[in-house]
Order: sequence, then structure tokens, then C-alpha cells
Amino acid sequence: VKQIESELAAFGAIERRRILHAAYERFLSHHFYDALVQNPGSTAPSEPAFQAVFCLDEREESFRRHLEETEPEAETFGTAGFFGVPMYYRGATDAQPRPLCPVAIRPDHYVSERDDGEGTRDGQRFAFRRSTGPLFGHNIYLGSHTFFRGAIFMPLAGVAAIVPLVLRVLFPWLGSRLGRLSRTFAPDRMTRLSLAREQVVPPVGRYTGFTVDEMAEIVRGVLEGIGITGRLAPLVLVVGHASTSLNNPHESAHDCGACGGGRGGPNARAFAQMADDPRVRQRLAELGLSIPPSTWFLAAERNTCNNAFDFLDADWVPSGLQSVFDKARRAIDTVRERESHERCRRFDDVPLWYPAFATLAHVESRAANLAQPRPEYGHASNAFCVIGRRSRTRGLFLDRRAFLVSYDPTEDGDGHILGRTLAGVVPVVAGISLEYYFGRVDPTGYGSGTKLPHNVTSLLGVMDGAGSDLRTGLPWQMVEIHEPVRLTIVVESEPRLLARIIQAQADLERLVRNRWIFMAALMPHENRLVEITAEGFEPYAARYPVPTVRGDSLDWYRGKRGHLRIARIDNAICQEPVV
Amino acid sequence: MSRDGLFQALILVSVFTPLVLLFVLGVPSLLSRPLQESVVGRLVRLAMAVVFLGNFTALVAHAVSGAPARLISLGAGLSPPMEAFEFLVDSRSLAFGALSALLCGIVAAFSNRYLHRDPGFNRYFILFATFVLGIELVALAGSIEVLIAGWEFLGLSSALLVGFFHDRRAPVGNALRVFAVYRLGDAAMLSAAVLLHQTAGSGSLLMLFSSTVTEATPLPAGRATLIALLLIVAVAGKSALLPFSGWLPRAMEGPTPSSAVYYGAVSIHAGCFLLLRASPVLEQSTLAQVLAAFAGLSTALYATMSARVQADLKSTLAYGALTHVGLIVVEIALGLYTLAFLHIVGHMCFRMMQFLSAPNVLHDLHELVVEGQPGASHHLRRIPTRLRHRLYFFALERGFLDSLIDRFVVGRFQRLLRALDLVDRALCGGGPTGLKVAAEESLDD
Repeated sequence: VKQIESELAAFGAIERRRILHAAYERFLSHHFYDALVQNPGSTAPSEPAFQAVFCLDEREESFRRHLEETEPEAETFGTAGFFGVPMYYRGATDAQPRPLCPVAIRPDHYVSERDDGEGTRDGQRFAFRRSTGPLFGHNIYLGSHTFFRGAIFMPLAGVAAIVPLVLRVLFPWLGSRLGRLSRTFAPDRMTRLSLAREQVVPPVGRYTGFTVDEMAEIVRGVLEGIGITGRLAPLVLVVGHASTSLNNPHESAHDCGACGGGRGGPNARAFAQMADDPRVRQRLAELGLSIPPSTWFLAAERNTCNNAFDFLDADWVPSGLQSVFDKARRAIDTVRERESHERCRRFDDVPLWYPAFATLAHVESRAANLAQPRPEYGHASNAFCVIGRRSRTRGLFLDRRAFLVSYDPTEDGDGHILGRTLAGVVPVVAGISLEYYFGRVDPTGYGSGTKLPHNVTSLLGVMDGAGSDLRTGLPWQMVEIHEPVRLTIVVESEPRLLARIIQAQADLERLVRNRWIFMAALMPHENRLVEITAEGFEPYAARYPVPTVRGDSLDWYRGKRGHLRIARIDNAICQEPVV
Repeated sequence: MSRDGLFQALILVSVFTPLVLLFVLGVPSLLSRPLQESVVGRLVRLAMAVVFLGNFTALVAHAVSGAPARLISLGAGLSPPMEAFEFLVDSRSLAFGALSALLCGIVAAFSNRYLHRDPGFNRYFILFATFVLGIELVALAGSIEVLIAGWEFLGLSSALLVGFFHDRRAPVGNALRVFAVYRLGDAAMLSAAVLLHQTAGSGSLLMLFSSTVTEATPLPAGRATLIALLLIVAVAGKSALLPFSGWLPRAMEGPTPSSAVYYGAVSIHAGCFLLLRASPVLEQSTLAQVLAAFAGLSTALYATMSARVQADLKSTLAYGALTHVGLIVVEIALGLYTLAFLHIVGHMCFRMMQFLSAPNVLHDLHELVVEGQPGASHHLRRIPTRLRHRLYFFALERGFLDSLIDRFVVGRFQRLLRALDLVDRALCGGGPTGLKVAAEESLDD
């Protein structure tokens, strides 16, 4: 008894919690491994009607899953959401150019969005209107604390502020609709990206636009990276993502991490425009990568907050592809509702009985609500990452917790593609995972505390209330549902090859050796998995059976609030008659 | 008399709904059985709708009847009759009450979502109910007793909401500062009430304050001046006029919606509203008028300078609000009552909007092209450079108000307390009392 007591005494509270935490992380990883090992794989269509390339973001996991469930003939891919296009970008309505690429890269190229009717009277009128609106607002803002302007304005017109106040706070959905209505009266101008290299000194960066060679290199890098080259469908959607919300100083924390916290739409648009360019295709053919003339790349931007899905340059779609395009559009409209429905189960203030169309309206109003401190939950709850073919994960319900990166080991014998992918992807996903981890375990130290008293200062950050240090990190409202676990990355690759690549990259090696992330290799041709640790390889033996659900995702998550176990969603059984 | 009955009922509804809400939310919390978030949300929204409709119906009924101001006594039917529960019904009080209720209702809906899942959710809405009760009492007060009661509710809930996040030091220290200034104003207010009773024999506001019966005011000139001056002190405390302005930016510690409703929209104008009500007394004393105009003008100048150079948004908005409060006081001192009232109404709505959408500033900036940073505008460039730099420093340091008060008021007070403490210890031989030490420390911050 004495010995037990002394051992118990030595096993202090911190040590005990450390072990419990490690055990929980292990438990989650093992469930994840089990699901991957036991997934029978390829339910993917052999000749897909259309393909869609998304960001690797785990918020796209649900969208991709629902898209595949809604339209079994669709195939989806994941890659870093800047689509290999590092650029400074200035949109037609942006005040400043900004870099759109991972923060580690300093872009050389400058790309701007131009009004189609630039120079015409229409265009000038539009430009004038565009600049007066914000300027008017700015003057009112200044006038509100200056002496004479304010004294005249306030008694006369101040009371008018009650209208937007009531509309935006009490009826946010109506407010968002009215905003859209006003756009139908004054529609957005048709714009194009000016991508081609021009001999002009850019405002930032070194070059204006890209040369054909550079474009070909970018397109080849992405297409090879995701392993799509041999199987291009007639229509390939390139989907960037962004997030809009009101009253949210942390808005850009919901945008695309691979675009340095910017909107991913311009990158997707640039990529699609490059891949559709006949000169680029010709150059690619010379390099040994032929894109069939029947294939068309179409860019889109998905808003992860209000689930809007905007096609970009859709007027360029060849007429022969209209029927496929319509099919894709219909499927995506359904998916928007279904995905909102799944996402809303995590919001405490949305009743679980809400039907899908109501949840879409709900997320729309969430994005337009001034009073909403949680427009979306961002990356919260991320825990896993898969780098491999989609066929290995297709049909798994990963509960919006897994970063999915497409990579085809069968077309990458020497691992040079994998090396490139790991170098680009792992620091990003590990960074996101750790940011949420530490924001959750120490919200005052690493996070920025609760959003409620935040006060924007110097237009660059927030502080608490009347005066405090600058608060960096994520606010509590973004991490409150996060489970602080380290990221488990599974790479579909030969373990030896993977280990060699990790050894070769110092940053990656440190992440694995010091256990900031867990790493495992999934054998490309068999259902076996090997954990990779600093000590060496450790084959994994399946432990738990994976629940299988017949039907679709809804049948698994319906009526549930918390984190869900990974399950296999078997909708093939429902749709195809058993022979 | 049935019309009086109608007003009586409406006022009863407007004033007692927040009181009932306060008890409904507060009692379960006291019994450690706080209500569920959704229930609280629904109750608050219902209560705010009732308060607003009560006020608004009364306003419409009053406008339709076209009658002059009238005094409604809720204690009239009781025996013994209670003069204290008197309410004044005229277009200004009802309009101010209705607008306050509307803005409070918007903030209630806003807060309901904004504070979702916050551990202080219940506490926030209890304080909010206290605030609504206070502002309705102030708006509709017909006797100085009712006014003081409302005034106290406002001050108390305000200070407690500044200290809402009491796990950090800064909010608590700043709440104490706000509370200290409010007490000073309250003391002035109380003295004014006592004087009023002594002079007029009653605390009823109709015969004294209502602009419709100015002729009947029987105050001797000296008394009128004294009362007016005391009221100006009370107003200066509540509306952060000079030299009390220092607390206003410090009060931005609570959740954003509470900052909006107190220091942007409603509470900060309570002082202006009181001064507007008291204008007949003010008119009897040129000295008080001049003083009020001076206080207002200097506050407006000081605030507009400070607003231009603050780095953080809430301080900018606070000083922006203060600029207008100063202007409104000047307008009242000049006798421009209708303009002042319109100014109050417009400013309440606009500033509320601005405060509530303050965190949106980074979003708005994406699309705003400001060609070149203007720096000092061309008006300011006419000022000699050295003076301009001095003014800039003065504005940036918020007029050194806080350090002046710390040095000359708090410091002296502390020395006095220490001396008393020494005497106390010498006489009684006791140790230092923890309370005093703690109080001094927090004032030192």
C-alpha cells in the first residue's frame, strides 16, 4: 500500500493530465486510421461528368462530400487554395493591392482586375459612383466628430441612421436581401483579370502579369500535384474560398489561409484563365502534358460563411458544355443547402429541426448580422489531414475535421511531387492546427480572449476595452468548440519514400521529431498503414470497426450537436440495384 | 379624467415593466437558479417591446390630445397620498422615453446574440434591466425624487457594466473611476433636490421645470442660481463635460453593445435631457447660463481635438459623442431648445449605429480609397507649428485631465486619508484597514 501511495503521489496532476491528453489524441488518431484502413476505396466514377478542385481546407470536406453524394458522377480534388498562383492582386473595388499566396512566399507578380468598360462613359460613371459611396461614408464618419460639419448634419439627418440600425440588427436576413436587391438595380460591372505580362512597372512586386512559360509552369505544377492529368473531365471547376461577415475584426481569419488570409476567388480565376489559354495549352503539350481540347476550366468562389457560390467568367464557358455546366450548377445549389444544414448543427442557436433551405437562409443572415460574433466556426475542430487520392477517403464522413490534399502516388515514382506537396502543405496545416490548439488551451495568453470588449486600434489590431496590449491570436468565440489535439497527417505513400522525404526537409523533420504533428503512411496498393515516429516505423493494426451508414451524411449527423465519429456513408447501396 | 387614466396606465407599463423584468431575471439568479439563455432573451425582447409600445402609444395619444404638459401621479389613489410617484407627460419626455426604449430594444436584440454563450449573460441582462428602469424614470420623472431614483439606477448599472469583465484589472479600476465621478454628480443633484424642497415646498417638477408654466416659478434669484449651478455639476458628471471628461474613454471596457447604449446613445444624453428639463431655472440665472455655455463649448472644443488624434476606435467615438454633447449643452444655454432636442434625437440614433458597427471598420476599409493621408487639414496648417504640436500633444494626452485629477484631487484625498489613518492608529492602535489600502491602490492605477 505504501508503494502505491508513493507512486500515486509521484503521479501528479500535471503528469496525469498529460497522459490523459495523450491517450485521447491516440484514440482519435486510431479511429481515423481505422476508417482509412477499412475504407474499401474507389467508389469514384470512372468517367466523371465534371470535376471540381477545391482548397484543401477542412471546411471544404463537407462540401465535397455532399457534392459527391448529390451528384455521384462528380469527382473532387483538393489542393492549396492559391492554386499555385502567387500574386499581388488588386480587385476593381479594392483600395489597395494585397498579396494572395501563402505568407512564406513574397510574390513577384502583380495582377489587377479591370472593368470591361474601362474608358467608356459607362465605365467612368461606374468608377465615379464607386468612389463616391465610400468617400461619402468617410466624410460622415469624420463629420461625426468634427465641429461644424457635425453640428449641421446631426440634428438634420442623424435620425435617418435608425433605418439601417433596425434593419441590420433586428432583420439581418432582410437586410442582406435588400443589399442584393440594390445590386440588381446597379449590377456589378463585368470585369476581367489582366493576366498577361505587360512592360509596365507594377505598383508592387517586380512584374505585371505572367509570361506564357510561367503560366504553363503554374498549371503543370497544380495538375500534376493533384494527379488529375490523365483523367480530365470536360468541365473542371476551380473553386477558391472566402468568407464575409460584418462587425468582425477577425474576418480574414476565416478567409483562405493559403492565400495569406485573403479571398481565394481571384487565384482560382487566374488559374482557370491560364489553363484555358490556348498558348499555355500548346506550351504544356510541348512539355508533355496534353489537356484535351474538350476540357474547360471554370473558376468559382465559395463563401464559407453564407455559402454563396459565384462562378467567375462563366460567360466564357463554350456552348457545347452548357448542359454539363447546368448540371453542375444544379448540383451545387442543392449542396449549398445540405452543407449549410450540416454546418448549422454546430451552432447552438439553430434548432436541430430546421430544414435545409432554412439553414441556408440562416447562414446568409449570420453573415449579414452586425451582432453575430460567430459568423462561422472557421477551422475549429480540425484534427486530421490526408494527402492522397480521394478514392481512399471518398464515402467517409470526416465531420469537417480533415484537410484533404489530392496526390496520386501511382504517378510519382521518385517522390518529387510528394516532396513539393509536403513542403507546401504541411507547414500550413500544422500552423493552422497549432494556432487553434494553443488558442483553445490558453485563450488569454495565445488567444485574444473574448471578442465582446474588443476595440479596433490603429486599424491594425484589437485591444481589450479602453486600453490594453495588442491582442494577438484567435478570439475565444472562434475556438470554443475546438478540441485541442495535434494534427494527424496520413500520406498515401510507401513508408520508406515518405521517411526519406521527411529526412530531407529540415522543417518537416523537426515537426515530426518533436511531435508537433503525427505522421503515418498509407500503403498505395493495400489497406495497411504504418505510423512514422522519430524512433522508426510502427505498423498499425486495425482496432475498432467503423460504423457504416446507409443513405447519406444526413442519416449520420441528424439531430446531433457535438463532434461525431468518423463513419462510412454508403449511398451506393441505395442508388444502384444489387445484382 | 379617463384620458388621465389612460396615461396613468401607459406610464405604469413603461416604468414597471423593466422593474418586473429586473426581478424576474434577478431573483432566480440570486437563488443560484439562473434562467436559460433563450428564456432570458425572449423575456427581455418582450419587455422591451412593451416598454416601447407603452411610451409610443402615450406619445401618440398626447400628440392627438394636444393638451399641454400634465402631471400624472401614480400614488394619488393611495392613502396616505404619495406625492413622490409623480410623472410628467409632455411631448419631450415621451419622445425621449420612446426613443430610449427603441434604442434599448435594438441593443437588447443585439446583445442577445452578441453575448450568446458568455458566462456573464444573465448578469448583463440584469444590469440592462436596471438601466432601462433608470432611463425611463429619468425621462418621465415628474418629481425630483423620481428623477434621483432613475439617476441612481443609471449610475449604478453603468459602473457595474464598465466593470463587467472583472477578471481583469483595468475594467475594475476604470469602473471605480466612473463610479466616483457619478457620486460627485449625485451629491450635487441631491443638494439641488433638498434646496428645491426648502424653497418651493415640493419636489414636483411641473411648476419648476416645465417650460409651459415658467411664469409661475416663484424662486428667489439667489436660490435659482445655486440650484442651477448644482444641476450643471450633476449634468457635467453624467454627461462627461469638462472637467469630468476623463472617465468617458475609460468607460469603454464593457461589451460593445453596452458601450453603445451608455456612452454613445442614451446615458450620455441623460445629462443634456435633464438640463433641457431644467431650462426654466437656468433662464433665471445669467451666471448659470454663461457657465453652462462655457462648459459646453470648452468640452466640445476639447473633445473634437481629442477625437481627431485617438488611435483606437472606441475612444474616437467617445470623444466624437462628447463633441456633440458639448454642442447640445451650448444650444440649451443659448435657449435653442427645439434645436437641442432635435440634436439629441439625431445624435442618439446616429451614434448608436456607429458604435454598434465599430468593429466593422477594417471591413469597410477594404473598399475605401483615401488618396494620400491628409494629416493636418488646411485649416489647421494656419496655426503656427509650435502651437500645433502643443495642441497635438494636448489632444493626444486627452488634455492631461486624468493626471491633473490624480494629482490634485485623488492625491490630496489620499494624503488626507493617510493622515486620518495615522491619527486613527495613534489613538486606537489598530493595524491598517484592508479596505482603505485596496481603495487607494485601485485609484493609483
